[in-house]
Amino acid sequence: MSQYHLGEFEEIVLLTVAILNGEAYGVSIISEIEDRLQRKVSLGAMQTVLKRLEEKDLVKSEFGEATNVRGGKRKRLYEITASGRQILSRTKAQRNSLWDAIPKVVFKFSEK
Amino acid sequence: MKQSENNPPRVVLGFFRWYCNPALLEEIEGDLTERFHYYSERYRQNKAKWLFTKEVLLLFRPTIIGNIYHLTNNSSIMTVQNKRLMLILAAVPTILLIPLIAMQFSNGVDWKILDFVIMGILLLGTGLLCELVLRKVKSTKGRIILCGAVLFSFLLIWAELAVGIFGTPFAGH
Repeated sequence: MSQYHLGEFEEIVLLTVAILNGEAYGVSIISEIEDRLQRKVSLGAMQTVLKRLEEKDLVKSEFGEATNVRGGKRKRLYEITASGRQILSRTKAQRNSLWDAIPKVVFKFSEK
Repeated sequence: MKQSENNPPRVVLGFFRWYCNPALLEEIEGDLTERFHYYSERYRQNKAKWLFTKEVLLLFRPTIIGNIYHLTNNSSIMTVQNKRLMLILAAVPTILLIPLIAMQFSNGVDWKILDFVIMGILLLGTGLLCELVLRKVKSTKGRIILCGAVLFSFLLIWAELAVGIFGTPFAGH
């Protein structure tokens, strides 16, 4: 498997798909990100990233149910794949190792 | 509330249905409709419609459009001329997206609504004039000269509006 690197927004979307655990689709992912991170996200940016993650085999999708509020159109529900979980774990480990490498004195001075 | 007031703007939705890759149409139209209802509950109708329009414009990107073949293959009787015309019409909002997106990342680009309107008219006018030339003039030489003149005029007007090279009352600074 080639070594993928997640962009910042890709990582956020992938984490959110994991959080929503089977209930992730365009609108629910946007709402979750807006609620948790107070960050505005457009549907265009979201769909682009979801398609990219699906091409990289980090998420998989299938059609869900149609509702009236969606004008009778079905949702596309996304779910994280094994590769997705793997890359998230690797990213987290990399971040942790970077955090651990920061000398404690750096934050002591910045607090003053 | 009347039913029509609670629906997304038809023209904007029609534009989205036209450019969206058919394979993605159902899920994204559903998302757009759901977002519109969410906006309608939180904001006034005009603002909800504007936010819906903004979402549709921001969706106008290669991933969502996909292979442009579907844009020009809506009818088997569509001629080469009509395909070209459709591409010109699609190119105008695409080009206008460049400053719109640049504004999100840089303070160096600061376009007002009027700037977008004027540039849209200029681009559309240039595109339609070139299309007219290509339809009416049959010789290659004539086409090159006339289309070149149209494009040169476009550049001159743009430069005048932007920085004022002739000092007309419409000159920019």
